[in-house]
Amino acid sequence: MKRGVLASLTLLLATVMPLTAAYAESTSASGEAAAAETVCLQCHGGQAGRLGAPVSPWRQSIHAKNGISCHDCHGGDPADFAQAMSPERGFLDVPAAAAIADFCGRCHVGVREDYLASAHGRARERGPHCVTCHGSHTVQAATLELINAKDCSRCHEFGRAGQIKEAVAAVDARILAVERDIAAMHRIGFATRELQDELFNLRNAFHRLFHTVDVNKVRKETEDFSRQLDFLDGKIAALHAELQWRQLVGSGVILLLLAAGVLLLLLRKTYADEERGRKEE
Amino acid sequence: MDRLKTLMDWFDVRLGVREILRSNLQGYLLPRHVNIWYSLGAVLLALFTLQFLSGILLLVYYLPAADKAFVSVERIMNAVPYGWLIRTLHMVGSNIIVAVLLLHLLSVLFMGAYKKPRELTWLSGFGLFNLSLILCLTGYLLPWSQLSFWATTVATDAAGAVPWIGEGLVTFLRGSPSVGAGTLGRFFALHVVAFPLLFLGLVGFHLFCVRRAGISVPPFGPSARPAGVGTTFQHEVHRDGIPFFPNYTVKELAVVMFVLAGLVAITVFAPALFLPPDALEPADPFTTPDHIKPEWYFLWAYQTLKIFPSKLMGLAAQGGAMTLLALLPFLDRGEERRPFHRPLFLTLYGLGILLLLGLSIWGHRS
Repeated sequence: MKRGVLASLTLLLATVMPLTAAYAESTSASGEAAAAETVCLQCHGGQAGRLGAPVSPWRQSIHAKNGISCHDCHGGDPADFAQAMSPERGFLDVPAAAAIADFCGRCHVGVREDYLASAHGRARERGPHCVTCHGSHTVQAATLELINAKDCSRCHEFGRAGQIKEAVAAVDARILAVERDIAAMHRIGFATRELQDELFNLRNAFHRLFHTVDVNKVRKETEDFSRQLDFLDGKIAALHAELQWRQLVGSGVILLLLAAGVLLLLLRKTYADEERGRKEE
Repeated sequence: MDRLKTLMDWFDVRLGVREILRSNLQGYLLPRHVNIWYSLGAVLLALFTLQFLSGILLLVYYLPAADKAFVSVERIMNAVPYGWLIRTLHMVGSNIIVAVLLLHLLSVLFMGAYKKPRELTWLSGFGLFNLSLILCLTGYLLPWSQLSFWATTVATDAAGAVPWIGEGLVTFLRGSPSVGAGTLGRFFALHVVAFPLLFLGLVGFHLFCVRRAGISVPPFGPSARPAGVGTTFQHEVHRDGIPFFPNYTVKELAVVMFVLAGLVAITVFAPALFLPPDALEPADPFTTPDHIKPEWYFLWAYQTLKIFPSKLMGLAAQGGAMTLLALLPFLDRGEERRPFHRPLFLTLYGLGILLLLGLSIWGHRS
């Protein structure tokens, strides 16, 4: 009988424990499951030299972070080795210099429009293209640091570019601050999707503005962006107020619970004194 | 007051409730030197009650469907009045429960309270500990976040390592070849109905064992001696002890108040403490998030699985260790309960805690 009970318990635990322990396996999951499935990465990732060079910078890029893989820009069939680079499956090779704006502009529609209308765009046969400032496979989230004397001076003086940078610096800093605030609110469980979308649109429109390389237009429209940021700031301030209210009421509850605990311990001490007295009697 | 007395009289005539209350409250005497570790059971009862209540309130707005679950949780957190409070208390509470369960288990081990005649108390308590971990695991999927989805995918996948029946077991757990709506339905039913019912039954049995066998005397002080248990049932009475109510209950309530204060503090000042970033994104079966780590209480298990060369060996090692722990009262049968008169046990106890901490830290940093 005793043996039967022990055997049953052993069986029960041997069945139950692996289920709980198995949960811990979750960490073995790789972060690039979706990307690793493309034949582009499988083939080019193992190659040396020019053909394998794009893979590593791409892994560190903003495109990779947002799930934009090789085939999203270059087309082709990412699931078929034989058809991966087939023009019939929409494969596009490295674009010619004058076609780069159209290549990137399939997604970055607004930026393409403003770039093509700008002095840069009009001179695109020999002038700067998207990749001149942003790089190609290594592309990162655009920051104001892209406008700098070293890079701009490769083609012309920094003067006008410097004026544009100065005009937008304050708003750009505010966008970053609002982004941090939204992320902090999201981190503690507030629904921030709407705010994130609004900021995303605002930032895209703001960054599009740079590509006009028109100082007067940039100065004039920067004020509009500042007003839009005021509106977002107001919404974030409301979330902060809600958080402060929670913490204020929470502090009160914590104090009450602690006070109740101390009072109960004092009561226990009274009982302990009585118990000692009774024992001595 | 008179009405209450009349009501009490009515029940007393029919059920003798005054005698039941007297013998279980004022007349129930505990050992005089009962220490603060003995109050962890009451803390757990209070925390589990809070989990049940907050869980019922969450059920009012939660939708257990793959395309609605995440949105419903987001709605609870942002649109339902005090929904954030209920959900955060439920989430933080589950973590505090595991911490208190571990402390309770370690204190029972240290004081040798698992020994004869309390083997059944230990077994039911150990069962409750495991059931709590399973409740945590099943509850984890319900928000249908990235973390929920991928943690459950790999956790259920591990069942495939079981020889012969592995593949069938994975499909049985998931309700489909991969984690999906069927899995959510199963885990939801288990988390809110099947396991809580089992849990309630086991808690009842555990409390019955505690009351029937009597509370063990703390094995400390000059008067502490080996138990000397006989071969027939004998309820352990403490004639010079202190009444359970109100003398000891106030101490238990004080500890409950302090733990609740900690729970509220984390809920309002550090709600993200047990909420990894991936728990804030909706499940996406096509994108595996980076750096998924299990909850802190599964880190030791996670690291153990990584140490062994095969998944099956890792699972078997963990199952073996837990089985050994469950059967401890049947293996360690000496009557001595004083920790410092049990040097071998004390050494293994210390090494075991160090191993648990070491594996957890290793798992966290790996």
